[in-house]
Amino acid sequence: MTAVIAATHLSKWYGNVLGLNDVTLEIEAGITGLLGPNGAGKSTFMKLITGQMKPNIGTVTVRGRKVWNNPMIFAGIGFCPEHDVFYEDVTGWEFVTGLLRFYGYSGSDIKERAARALDIVELTKDKDRLIRGYSRGMRQRVKFAQAIAHDPEIIVLDEPLSGLDPLGKRKLIKLIKAFRDEGRTVLVSSHVLPEIEALTSRIVLVHQGKILAQGDIPYIRELIEAHPHMISVRSSDPRALAARFVGDRSIQKMSFAPDGRTLVVETHKRDDFFGRLTGAVLEGGIEVEEISSPDDNLQAVFEYLVGK
Amino acid sequence: MNARKSIGEIFGFFFFLGRRTGKARVFALLGLVPVILAIVVRVALHGRSGDMAAVFTEILMVFFLQFYIVILSLFYGTSVVAEEIEGRTLSYLITRPLPKPTIVLGKYAAYALLMFLMVAVSLSLSFFILNSGRLADPSLYLTFLSYLGVLGLGVLTYTAFFTFLGAVLKRAILVGLVFGFGWENVIQYFPGSTQKFSIVHYLKSLLPYRPTGGGGGRLALLLFKLEPTSPAVAVLMLAVIAGVFLALACWVFRTKEYLYEE
Repeated sequence: MTAVIAATHLSKWYGNVLGLNDVTLEIEAGITGLLGPNGAGKSTFMKLITGQMKPNIGTVTVRGRKVWNNPMIFAGIGFCPEHDVFYEDVTGWEFVTGLLRFYGYSGSDIKERAARALDIVELTKDKDRLIRGYSRGMRQRVKFAQAIAHDPEIIVLDEPLSGLDPLGKRKLIKLIKAFRDEGRTVLVSSHVLPEIEALTSRIVLVHQGKILAQGDIPYIRELIEAHPHMISVRSSDPRALAARFVGDRSIQKMSFAPDGRTLVVETHKRDDFFGRLTGAVLEGGIEVEEISSPDDNLQAVFEYLVGK
Repeated sequence: MNARKSIGEIFGFFFFLGRRTGKARVFALLGLVPVILAIVVRVALHGRSGDMAAVFTEILMVFFLQFYIVILSLFYGTSVVAEEIEGRTLSYLITRPLPKPTIVLGKYAAYALLMFLMVAVSLSLSFFILNSGRLADPSLYLTFLSYLGVLGLGVLTYTAFFTFLGAVLKRAILVGLVFGFGWENVIQYFPGSTQKFSIVHYLKSLLPYRPTGGGGGRLALLLFKLEPTSPAVAVLMLAVIAGVFLALACWVFRTKEYLYEE
C-alpha cells in the first residue's frame, strides 16, 4: 500500500521543549490510532500534518505534497481539533454552513452537505440552537460534523471521543469505522487504550515526542503483557489470601499495604491471577472487598516500555 | 476557489459573526454617547445661533476622530488575528483550502465595514440632531459627507495598522493603546513635519474647513496646531499606510507559526 501521509525525520520543538523528535512514519488508508499519554506529542504530530505548524526538521507530506502553506490540500482533509473551542455566538447550523463556505460550494450544496453532516452526528433537531448552549457531547459532535461535512478523503481526529458518553462513543466509533470501510484514511489520537482498541488494530505508540512502537493490537498487547501488573486486593483476611498464592509461579512479588487489609500482588499474568483469585475466594471463603490495579493504565505501560 | 472568492466568503462569515458578538453591542452602545450628547445640546441650544451648533459639531468630531474610530479600530483590528489565537479557533480557518492572506483580508474587510456602519449611524444621528436647524442648507450635507469620508478613511487606515500589530504581537492591545491614545494624541501637536508621523494628521488635513486667521474660528479645536498636508497627498498617504500595513499583516500571517498558549 502507498502512504497517504508520510513524515520523515520530523522534529518540532517549542523553545527548549521537544514536542516531536525525529519521527518517521507512514500512514496508509484505513484507521490508524495514535496512542500516548497527555503531552506525548500526538497533537503536535496532528498539527504538523494539518499544516498548523511548521516542522523544525524533516518533512511531512500528504499524498506526496508538502503541507505547510499549501492550502489546496485541505480540500481533501477534515480536521477535528482537540480543544473544546468554537465561534460561540452561532448555531450548530451556522457553524457548519459557515465553514463549508470556504470550499467554494454553491449555496444549495452547502445546505445539503451541512444537513447531511448534522444528521450523521444526530444534531438535526438541535441545529438551530446556539453552540454556547450545547452540552459537551453535542459540542464534540458538531466539531466532528464540521470535519466530515466536505466529504474529505483524509480525516484527522484529535481526541474525538473525549467528553462523549458511552453511547455517544459507540456511535462515533461506528461512524469512524464506516469511513474506513469507504476506503478513507482516518488518523485518530487518544490517551485511552480501549478507545483506540475499539477503533483499529493499527496503533502507533507515542511517548515523549518519539514513536515508541507501532504495529497491530496483538503486538502492542504483547508489550503490555510483558509489563508486570500490580494488583491490590482488599480483603477481610489478606494473609490467608496470600498463603493461597505462595506457590503460584505466575506471581513475582507479594506485599501488604500499610492499612494491613490490602494484599499487593505483582504478576505478569493478570488474567491467570484473577482466575485463581476467584477460586481462592470461593474455596477459602475469604471475603474480598475491593480489587484495583493501580498501574493498569497507559502511563504505566509507557513507563515500562521506556525502561523507567 | 480564487483569492477574490475566498476573501468574499471570509468577509461574509465574519461580517455575520461580527454582528452577533457582545463586542459589537458594546461598541454600538458607545456610539450612542454622541447621539445623547447631541440631543442634550440641541435642547439646551433651542432658539440660539447656528454657530454654537457648529462648535458642538467640532466637539463631536473630536470624539469620533480621536476616540471612537481609534478605539473601534484598535479592538477590531488587533482581533483579526489575535482573537483566533486566543480563542483557539484558528485551526478551523487554516485547515481550509484558503490562502492565508485571504483570511486576513476578508476579516479586515468585514470588520472595517462593521465599524464604518457603527460610525455612520452614530455620526449621522448626532450630526443631524445637532444641526437640525439647518437641514435646508445643502452645504450641511456636503460637510456631513466630508466628515463621514474622513472617518471612513480613518477606520480603514487605523484598522490596517492594528491588524498588523495583532498579527505580530501577543499583547497588541497594549501597544495599540499607547499608539492610539499616546503617540497619536501627542505627536499631532508637534510643529513642523514631526506631526506627519501620525495617522490623525492626514485625517485632519482632509477636514472640510480651514481655520480662519490666528488658529481660531471654526474647527479650531480640531485643527489646533495643524500644518495641513494637501488633500491629495493626505489621501495618498492614508492609502499607502493602509496598504503597507495590510500587506505586512498578510505576510506575517502567512509565514508566522501561531501557537496556542497552554
